[in-house]
Amino acid sequence: MNDSGALDTHLQELRRGTVVLACLQLLRTAEYGYKLLEELAVRGFAVDANTLYPLLRRLEKQGFLTSEWNTEEARPRKFYHTSSDGMRLADTLTNEWLALTSVIAALTTEEI
Amino acid sequence: MTATLTERYIAATIKSLPPESEMDVRAELEASIADAIEARIEEGEGRADAERAVLTELGDPGALAAGFADRALHLIGPRYYLTWWRLLKLLLAIIPATAVIGVVIAQSLAQAPMGEIIGQAVGVGISTVVHVAFWVTVVFAVLERTGADTGVRWDVDQLPEPKSAGMGRGEVVASLLFLAVLAGALLWDRFQGFLRPNGEPLPIMNPDLWPWSISGLFLLIAAEAALAVSVYFTGRWTTGLAIVNTVLAVLFVSLAVSLLARGELINPEVIAYALGNGVDADAQRTLALITGFSIVAIATWDAIDGWRKAAHGKR
Repeated sequence: MNDSGALDTHLQELRRGTVVLACLQLLRTAEYGYKLLEELAVRGFAVDANTLYPLLRRLEKQGFLTSEWNTEEARPRKFYHTSSDGMRLADTLTNEWLALTSVIAALTTEEI
Repeated sequence: MTATLTERYIAATIKSLPPESEMDVRAELEASIADAIEARIEEGEGRADAERAVLTELGDPGALAAGFADRALHLIGPRYYLTWWRLLKLLLAIIPATAVIGVVIAQSLAQAPMGEIIGQAVGVGISTVVHVAFWVTVVFAVLERTGADTGVRWDVDQLPEPKSAGMGRGEVVASLLFLAVLAGALLWDRFQGFLRPNGEPLPIMNPDLWPWSISGLFLLIAAEAALAVSVYFTGRWTTGLAIVNTVLAVLFVSLAVSLLARGELINPEVIAYALGNGVDADAQRTLALITGFSIVAIATWDAIDGWRKAAHGKR
């Protein structure tokens, strides 16, 4: 593996969990897949469609998201919404993220 | 609204999904793909180009389906890999060798020509390697997909003892003791006799071997003893010692097997005595063959072991 390959892998591993957290937070208001994908991109979360769609389904299966079909518009769309379990998970993950941020910050500002 | 490429893409994605989620995934994917295509058209792309780009971005439908169904995209993952690899090595060390030896003995007993024996042995060897590797891997691939527990846990007690590359004191004593017992047994057989059918010693080894062939055998025994002692004092196996060890093994095999093949190893009187006691010629032939193979197998193992330890000692 060359250097840029190794870099990509490290970045990917660092970002992996953040997409879950971002979805749980954004879906506190119900949204459908493609719209969420756009929203994530706008907010600076680089995620591919082929990662996001299976992820939404997995979170739904685990009970962190609920879904509902909206057939009122011309194109029927599946709307996802963060469940109460999902909200608790989002809070836990957010706290963990904040804790990590502070320890990482301490790592870089600490005097050696 | 959907065009052919999209239809084909969706069909390829959902065909391996469980039926209960099939319709749901289809409907959702249709909407998502249509949304993405529309977004691209709004930015001024042609429909055909937009569709192509969206589907390309979604990637291999097989991978997407695996994501939806939460399926592994590897044959044997980290959870089972080490168990698989250890079991495979263990079985490959035992089964093909056993099968080949079995075939060689069976074919020799059936008095098959040499070429046929070799051909059969090679064929059976290759096919057992392939079968063992294939079936073990199939079983583990199934385990990977069903998530069953192999019950294999690692713990610190499994750590291998550090292998000494040389010979420990116990090992050299055992080796010398074995050689002494062997020499003693040869002498005892000649002068006192393990068999004393009529009160007279009846040597098992052919008395015609004395003095020359037996002297050769005693020389080999003395050389083996000297080798064991020098490995002990060198502290490890070296390439030179491994060469000496191999030469001794080859000499021993050629002496023993050629005598056995010419029927000069065993005392003809013992054979006559045994025949008189109801051992027929077929059994005798079988016995000689098995003795011969055992000699070759043990000597080969001994030679390989020397090289292995020499290679290990270099590191």
